[in-house]
Amino acid sequence: MVIGPVGAPGTLAPRPLVAMRGITKSFYGTLANDGVDFDLRAGEIHALLGENGAGKSTLMNVLTGLYQPDAGEILIENHPRRLDNPAAAIEAGIGMVHQHFKLVQNFTVAENIHLGWEETPRRAGAAALEARTQALSERFGLPVTPGARVADIPVGEQQRVEILRVLARGARVLVLDEPTAVLTPSEVAALFTALRGFRADGNAVILISHKLGEVLEIADHVTVMRGGRSVAQCPAAGASRASLARLIIGDLPPSGRAVAAPLPDVEPVEPRADPDPLPARDVADPAASRRPSAPPGIAATAGAGPSVPHPAPTMVLREVSVRDARGVTLLDRVSIEIMPGELLGIAGVAGNGQRPLAEVMTGLLAPSEGELLLDGASMRGIGPRGFASRGVGHMPEDRLRTGLAATLPQGENALLREYHLPPSTRFGWLFDPAGARRLARGIINAAAVNRRDPSIPARNLSGGNQQRLVAERETRISHRLLVAAYPTRGLDVGAVAALHAAMHRLRARGVAVVLISEEIEELLDHADRIAVLCAGRISGILPVAEADPEKLGLLMSGQSLASGAPVSA
Amino acid sequence: MPILRRRSLLAAAAALSAMPRAVRAATPLAAVAEKDAVVAFGHIGPVSDGGWTFTHHQALLAAKKAFPAAKFLEVESIPVSADATRTFRQFVENGANIVFVTSEYGDLLSSVADDATDTAFLECNGHRQSDNESSYYIQHWMVSYVLGVAAGRMSKTGRLGFVGSFPVAAVYGCANAFLLGARSVAPHATMQVILINSWFDPQASSQAASALIQNGVDLLYTHLDDASCLQVAEKNNVKCATWNTDERRLGPNAYVSSLLLDWNGFCVDQIGRRLKGQWTGGPITLLPMGHGTDRDAWGATVPPEVGREADAVRARIMGGWNPFAGEIRDAAGTVRVTRGQSMTPMALYEWNWPVEGVSGLRG
Amino acid sequence: MSTRTTWAVQRVPEVSGGVRLLATALSAILALIVAGIVLRLCGLPPLALGARVLHASFGTRFGIEDLLLLASPLAACGLSVAVMLRVGLWNIGAEGQFFVGATGAAAVGLFLPVGGTGTTLALMALAAAAGGALWIALPAAARLVLGTSEIITTLLLNFVARLLVDFLATGSWRDARSSVTAQTPRIHAAFAKLPRDWHLGGLHWGIALVIALAAVVALLFRYTSWGFELRVCGANREAARYAGMPVGRRLAEAMLLGGALAGLGGMIELAGTVHRLQGGLSNSYGYVGIIVAVLAAAAPVGVLFSALLMAVVLNAGTVLQTQGLPASAAVALVGLILLFVAMGERLSHYRIAVIRPRATPAGTGSAAAASGAAE
Repeated sequence: MVIGPVGAPGTLAPRPLVAMRGITKSFYGTLANDGVDFDLRAGEIHALLGENGAGKSTLMNVLTGLYQPDAGEILIENHPRRLDNPAAAIEAGIGMVHQHFKLVQNFTVAENIHLGWEETPRRAGAAALEARTQALSERFGLPVTPGARVADIPVGEQQRVEILRVLARGARVLVLDEPTAVLTPSEVAALFTALRGFRADGNAVILISHKLGEVLEIADHVTVMRGGRSVAQCPAAGASRASLARLIIGDLPPSGRAVAAPLPDVEPVEPRADPDPLPARDVADPAASRRPSAPPGIAATAGAGPSVPHPAPTMVLREVSVRDARGVTLLDRVSIEIMPGELLGIAGVAGNGQRPLAEVMTGLLAPSEGELLLDGASMRGIGPRGFASRGVGHMPEDRLRTGLAATLPQGENALLREYHLPPSTRFGWLFDPAGARRLARGIINAAAVNRRDPSIPARNLSGGNQQRLVAERETRISHRLLVAAYPTRGLDVGAVAALHAAMHRLRARGVAVVLISEEIEELLDHADRIAVLCAGRISGILPVAEADPEKLGLLMSGQSLASGAPVSA
Repeated sequence: MPILRRRSLLAAAAALSAMPRAVRAATPLAAVAEKDAVVAFGHIGPVSDGGWTFTHHQALLAAKKAFPAAKFLEVESIPVSADATRTFRQFVENGANIVFVTSEYGDLLSSVADDATDTAFLECNGHRQSDNESSYYIQHWMVSYVLGVAAGRMSKTGRLGFVGSFPVAAVYGCANAFLLGARSVAPHATMQVILINSWFDPQASSQAASALIQNGVDLLYTHLDDASCLQVAEKNNVKCATWNTDERRLGPNAYVSSLLLDWNGFCVDQIGRRLKGQWTGGPITLLPMGHGTDRDAWGATVPPEVGREADAVRARIMGGWNPFAGEIRDAAGTVRVTRGQSMTPMALYEWNWPVEGVSGLRG
Repeated sequence: MSTRTTWAVQRVPEVSGGVRLLATALSAILALIVAGIVLRLCGLPPLALGARVLHASFGTRFGIEDLLLLASPLAACGLSVAVMLRVGLWNIGAEGQFFVGATGAAAVGLFLPVGGTGTTLALMALAAAAGGALWIALPAAARLVLGTSEIITTLLLNFVARLLVDFLATGSWRDARSSVTAQTPRIHAAFAKLPRDWHLGGLHWGIALVIALAAVVALLFRYTSWGFELRVCGANREAARYAGMPVGRRLAEAMLLGGALAGLGGMIELAGTVHRLQGGLSNSYGYVGIIVAVLAAAAPVGVLFSALLMAVVLNAGTVLQTQGLPASAAVALVGLILLFVAMGERLSHYRIAVIRPRATPAGTGSAAAASGAAE
């Protein structure tokens, strides 16, 4: 793939088209942007990279007039401009296409293009608007069907409508927030062709993305943000996935192992035809030495290990793929074995398949292909109730949307997993409110929720207390496996420690634990092995003894450790 | 000019007493002093409808004038549902001595009447009879026949149209009598009927009228409570005969005539009997042409000789001639009334088959 | 941080039933005061009229019977709406299900020659429940398969149901002797009247059936795991799916049950009060049922009481008409009272709080007073 246009970036226009100088913005005492400088030149596609919360969105919201910076200035073609609102930004030639489109579903493409646009003719019939839209579509090389209802056209075309809407209003700077997240590969190619055409006319594109391969394919320049600061700005031509990944993750405290080797010689974990049970106990011991307080139970389990050299795995995923309704691949041939008493960490940039993986492991999502075994038995055709009754607990990623019915009392939420079992229900159908209430009180007390009244709606609990309730409810049923997705998000230090302790208690009892996290330190501290997800694939599985931020960063960027070549099908 | 408005109460009373009424050995309800009397009117529609309910409201006003000391209750737009029962019970609760309901409510009324034996109930277009229940209606078929004679002379295509409410006896009577009148002068005339399942729905009646005109109908007749048919006829340059009141201002060129209603005499008479202790329940009173219903003065575009011819028929009927005499065939061609036979008032009142030439009504 | 004392309207997270009842009562009283002022301005004596309404509603045997007769179809429709609200769906189609249920019952009553009254009534009830459920089966399927909003589909089917009744009542099921409206002949299987010595001789056993239905629904909600599942499905479908509940199936079951309840309401009205299938069988009972269910916060036993409240309000409209108030004014008054009651129920979820620099929020006890003041 040829990178960059014929004319090298920067040569078309020496002065930046947009220059942001010392942009500082804080929210409630947290610095979201801390003196950020950002230059955008005419005729370039500029990628803006960074983890969630690195400050990318804040910076772009400042540029598009949604936020006012606390300090700093914006120069457009060397003239300072105040962008008090999105209208002012559009007037200055800056347009943004959001990740979630803001189109009126029941209007036609032409109507959406002309909605709220001062150049829309006062009196124009549908035919006139459609003709204007057709002309725009041809001018910018973005094919759309002017007369079609937005609700009826594919997502890729909706995105083109959204882009056309911005370009029609004279934008010279186009900001795209993760534009390829919802697109099929052919739609991505079409989008990139259109963006290159836009660039060739002397305009500029800012591209927010997590997909490093794409960034290297299309971008001329890259700016990396971390912790609210701009930490690097470099031409894309000289960058590699590995170097970008390192810039994005940053320097973690050295883990004391193998930091030096840029491409360590570790065998990539590719799908294997003959899965070989991992020697889980062997790697657990060195890892345990790093843990602040290793639960005593681990030693006991580890001691039991040698007598059973190849214990049967608790859960096996064999070549599991998941595709959504549109056929976009969410999980791509994932193979994992999870051993009893093992804590498996799942690392990766958010949105690379964590949610579908957790849902497949807990029965909420059926694999499109491949096989999933629990204690050796196939789970085909078994739903979340069956997984739960076989001892699989699940702390979901979004506890308020999925894990709790927020408007219902916390007592009923506590019963969500056991309402149909004694003592809540007798004979399989007769609900016993008194028995249920006793059980709910027990769960609430064990969860140490700060408000004990079962009739309080769950939404009136703080986030930490909600998570305590979910954790207690799920660990109660996790006889075989607990899948915990970002369980410590938004929790204070004490709650985090309590949660980790609970996981280690399960692990000590021989329950397998899957911990999905964005925080590499958390995984390094608690996991026995770490699997890395990238673009729906497992790019590698490392025993924690061999893992370090460097290697994980590489795997998160989609490179295998052995060859250094991008993992792509 | 309305003919009926000037009719004196005395004449009406005299005519009524001459009416054939089955004599039953019923005890009249006890007399009530006028100052203690409560008279209730329960209307099917709004008093502002300019039609059916409006004419009944006129009767209430006339009764108020005749019995100034009595108390009057009036509720309009009573749905034919269980709500009606509740309203009628409220009348009884309020001490009503005589209750007029201006449409048939059937069981909904009689369930109240059975429990309120001291109250007289008069149901327009009803069927029940008991010691405290009776019904009243008009011999509209006679007027329709007279209007039909004029229609038969005026229609060029011989295709007549009728816009009606429900497939009820009043519709059969109206459409049949109108066509029989027309056929008496234009033997090949036909009548197409469209029912709109409502007594008051200007939108639907306009549509029905338009549909009939598109089918080649050049003279419409309707018994609905609104004037939409007349207005549609005026716009389409065809003729129209209506019911209830003089509506010629809404379609001066289309207006043929109207079947006028006047309940004043009957209601005042019934209230008077109730107060004097002479009222008994019993079979229905069918008000004849000239005493509760009549044709309106002919419209401006009705040729004078047509009006005269129809009026001659009117005079014959009022002289005792029954035009509904055999042989009359139904729409399927079966002879229903043989030569030499003629239909009784009750047969006409409960007419439920279409005569030959009528389409759009079930047999 | 503000340093001044300010006022703010705050949503109260937890509102007790008592507070809500108080708010409803207060707003009803307020509505009556406003109505009284309007009546006075129109030159009518509000107090005398009020006394008349009270006497007509509660002062006589007729009045109480009428209230209960009117309340029973309202309660059946309210139950129908409440069952679907339990799973977070709106049944705007109780009106249509009521009619189709009555149609099913009429079919049995008119054309099934066998059996005594008891058997016929039982078969009529079965046919009515099946008819009501059938009428919501299509919206249920559309909802589950295509995600079509049940609000639109159930509403539109109301008109179809009404046309179906007209079609039958003007067509093959017509009573040829009827003079004014299209209706079927009288159906002879009817609910027996309550015993005379209960002093409610105008009432029929259908009312007991409505109360029993409410009790059964209440028991299902409270004492079955199925009822628990409905509640979770209504509160958060995602969470219900996560907990392994068969969400689609539960939604379908609630919809079918809702349809069946409205259908039974149609049968009770048919066999208890009207005895003929005709277009006036329901005077918008299905739509009033929505208000009934919302006022009762979808609680089955509460539905009985809010149906009674609605019956009082609607009956007051009839009484006021006999006292010389025009029909349109009576309807406007009824609407005014409903508007106030609905607003009061909503407002009971809010309080007016005084925000001081270090504010201690007003206690829950003052919430009622605050909500009352807010109106």
